[in-house]
Amino acid sequence: MFFAMLFVIWAWAVSVASPEGFEQVQSIMDGIIGKVIAIGTLSALIYHTLGGIRHVVMDMGHWEELESGNLSAKVIIALWVILTIVLGVVLW
Amino acid sequence: MVTSQADVKRNGVQDYVSLRTTAAIIFAFSVFMAWFFISTDNITFIEWHGLFSGILMKVFTLATLVSIMIHVRIGLWQVLTDYVKSTKIRVVVQWVLNLIAFAYVLVGLFVLWGV
Repeated sequence: MFFAMLFVIWAWAVSVASPEGFEQVQSIMDGIIGKVIAIGTLSALIYHTLGGIRHVVMDMGHWEELESGNLSAKVIIALWVILTIVLGVVLW
Repeated sequence: MVTSQADVKRNGVQDYVSLRTTAAIIFAFSVFMAWFFISTDNITFIEWHGLFSGILMKVFTLATLVSIMIHVRIGLWQVLTDYVKSTKIRVVVQWVLNLIAFAYVLVGLFVLWGV
């Protein structure tokens, strides 16, 4: 995600700076490369966020046994897959 | 116990709190941007430029970039200390990545400056 930020920051900087820059970024984003980078980055962000939320819940003392820990991990992965698909559909 | 406020040394509790606070800010920004992209049908330069022209959004964006820098600094330290056992390599990698994260903030600052 850290290296995806390289692309995100570049795209944002160029697109906000000028209308020409905006067109350039827009054309990239409409292309396959842009879409793959976007969905990849967003999917990683979703997974990272879900994992983070799970950690915060664990900070509060839940899901600390083997079964509950394992189950919550599986739920996160399922949620991640669903949300990635939902986001993919919504954005395109 | 001598506590020196002069240096920027952190402790585990501070890392713990900073990591979660920055995560909350980044999460809020991500949700806001997701909502923006989903709720605005066709985004033209005017909307996009307009979004970042307000002072509130500029502060929010810069706060997020700084939060990412702090989040990365702590998070990558945790990851690298787990996986990169040779201190020399780990320290160099950390130094480079933190520098890049810092550069992200500066780029963001000057982009926002110009909007």
